[in-house]
Amino acid sequence: MFALPPLFSLYWIDVFTASAIYAVVALGLSLLMGRVGLVSLGQIAIFALGAWVAARLNFGTSIPFPIVLLIAGLITTLLGTIVGLPALRLSGLYLALITLMLAGALTVVLTATNFPNGGHGFLGHTESSFGSTAVRRPALAESDPGYFRYTVVVAALMFGLALWHIRSKPGRAWAAIRQSEPAALAAGVNITLYKLWALALASFMTGVAGGLLGPSVGKLYTFQFPTRDSIILLAVVLMGGIYSLWGAVVAGMFMKLLPAILDSLNLPADLLTILFGVGVLQVLLTAPAGLAAQFPKDLARLWAALTRAFRRGAPAQERAH
Amino acid sequence: MPTWQDFQPFIVAGLALGGIYALSGVGMVVLYRATGVLNLSFGAVGAMGAFIAYSLIHDHGVPDALGYAVCVGFGGLVTLVYGVLFGPPLAGRDPLVKATATLGLALILLGAMSWIWSDKARSMDLPTSNSGFLVGQVQVNWTQVIALSLSIVLTVVTAAFLRYTNLGTAMRALANDREITATLGVPVRRVEAAAWLGSGLISGVAGLLLSNLVGLDAATLTFLVISSLAAALIARLRSLVVTLVAGLVVGLVTAMVTPILSISQYRDMAPFVLATVALLYLSGTKSATAARGSV
Repeated sequence: MFALPPLFSLYWIDVFTASAIYAVVALGLSLLMGRVGLVSLGQIAIFALGAWVAARLNFGTSIPFPIVLLIAGLITTLLGTIVGLPALRLSGLYLALITLMLAGALTVVLTATNFPNGGHGFLGHTESSFGSTAVRRPALAESDPGYFRYTVVVAALMFGLALWHIRSKPGRAWAAIRQSEPAALAAGVNITLYKLWALALASFMTGVAGGLLGPSVGKLYTFQFPTRDSIILLAVVLMGGIYSLWGAVVAGMFMKLLPAILDSLNLPADLLTILFGVGVLQVLLTAPAGLAAQFPKDLARLWAALTRAFRRGAPAQERAH
Repeated sequence: MPTWQDFQPFIVAGLALGGIYALSGVGMVVLYRATGVLNLSFGAVGAMGAFIAYSLIHDHGVPDALGYAVCVGFGGLVTLVYGVLFGPPLAGRDPLVKATATLGLALILLGAMSWIWSDKARSMDLPTSNSGFLVGQVQVNWTQVIALSLSIVLTVVTAAFLRYTNLGTAMRALANDREITATLGVPVRRVEAAAWLGSGLISGVAGLLLSNLVGLDAATLTFLVISSLAAALIARLRSLVVTLVAGLVVGLVTAMVTPILSISQYRDMAPFVLATVALLYLSGTKSATAARGSV
């Protein structure tokens, strides 16, 4: 991460920053899906809420940046818990649909209120482009490369938090719930508590990621959080793989790095949407563990095939099999 | 506070939009009951059909009626092909997985639409929108009449079909238990294919009407499925009549809020809020396991 900035232009560094931020968002969803078996279709709305809260605090107060991130995370956690508490009584499909509905409602509110841009009042939004200013960055990371490093450190902290949860008691409880809810109940696992815990944790990470987004892009607009992104997020998380934390890193790159690469090759980004759709179907049908698990396997198979081929000195056609 | 006069035009618009919500809701509920798949690509399929019809009519000089038929037929065809290809392999999986898979189809169609037709804003003009009549002082056009009456007719016809025909009975049996139905000698795949086709045709009709009433925009039409889903959810994905009523109510509430300026800009929240409240209220007395068993 310290070698990257000197090697690339500022444009690519911004792309890497965005990838790291979306990797954290993907991590939240992948925890929910892979560890507990809950699907949320509203993560982008929570992400937007985190961005809103952090931007408002950044403009309205002079609270140090890490504390702003923490508050943004805690407020989204509160929301995630409030949503989760009644919704957890519903089955998986209904929970997913409720998150979709609530995300839709939140998007309508955000469209009406807009994002803070240095204006006055509670909403902190001004229509005049004169008054609008960029969201401030932390003092020790004013430059783009600096902010990239800052983002990666925060993202790494979030991955560490996830790993810590998975390795300790909540992780074991989640595994039990995912396997079989009745069995987990019989084993004395508090199902509601740990499901709620997972929702709260995912919301917290997503909120922190939202807080990171504002300073990265400077100015926030509602169109940066379209409903389509919630679906694409689900697609890339599935493709990356929901059972490994690396999957979230892959997902972040799929979501932000791949479009930038396509763009630099003058290919339309819509191709990627089609590819993600195909990816969802392919993952659900044949490779439930996603790319992060599939790719090493494919590499191992390729390696085995290559070594076998060289040992025998076989012709190229046979290697293909 | 707006007067009764101000509300009148929005009653008509609301009933028309609500009619399409109900139409789409019925299409989704029928498919869900027969195959256990909640088709979240319903809006995308209809939108793609409408785009194809638009470009046939405006760029290739195809007669209007043929274009509309292509739109409806495209909806049926794509949904049927998806159902035949991906229905059986996913049949044993969780309803959540089946619904997620349809999001894959939605993304494919959405990507294709934004890629091919992203150059300019379009709006489908149906000949029925140009003529109408007055009710009191409110102008009503024929598209709005068609949307509302079609939703009522379709709900009644579908309900009768499910109750009185052999195919309908087979679908209801499938809704109860796929394995047992298969054991009883019902050609499961053929019945499921019929449900996919029927639901797909409805999505084509809904897409055509929506592209006229709302506008021809890929993302808008694709995600309008969420609003129609609200009607289906209020009916707990079960009752067709409740879906119809819920669809009309959702459409009406959304439109009627428009003249009330203080909350006008929040009107699009109506379907989501209504669906959430209904779901939470209806599930109030059930535990997680009971809810899973019954839905």
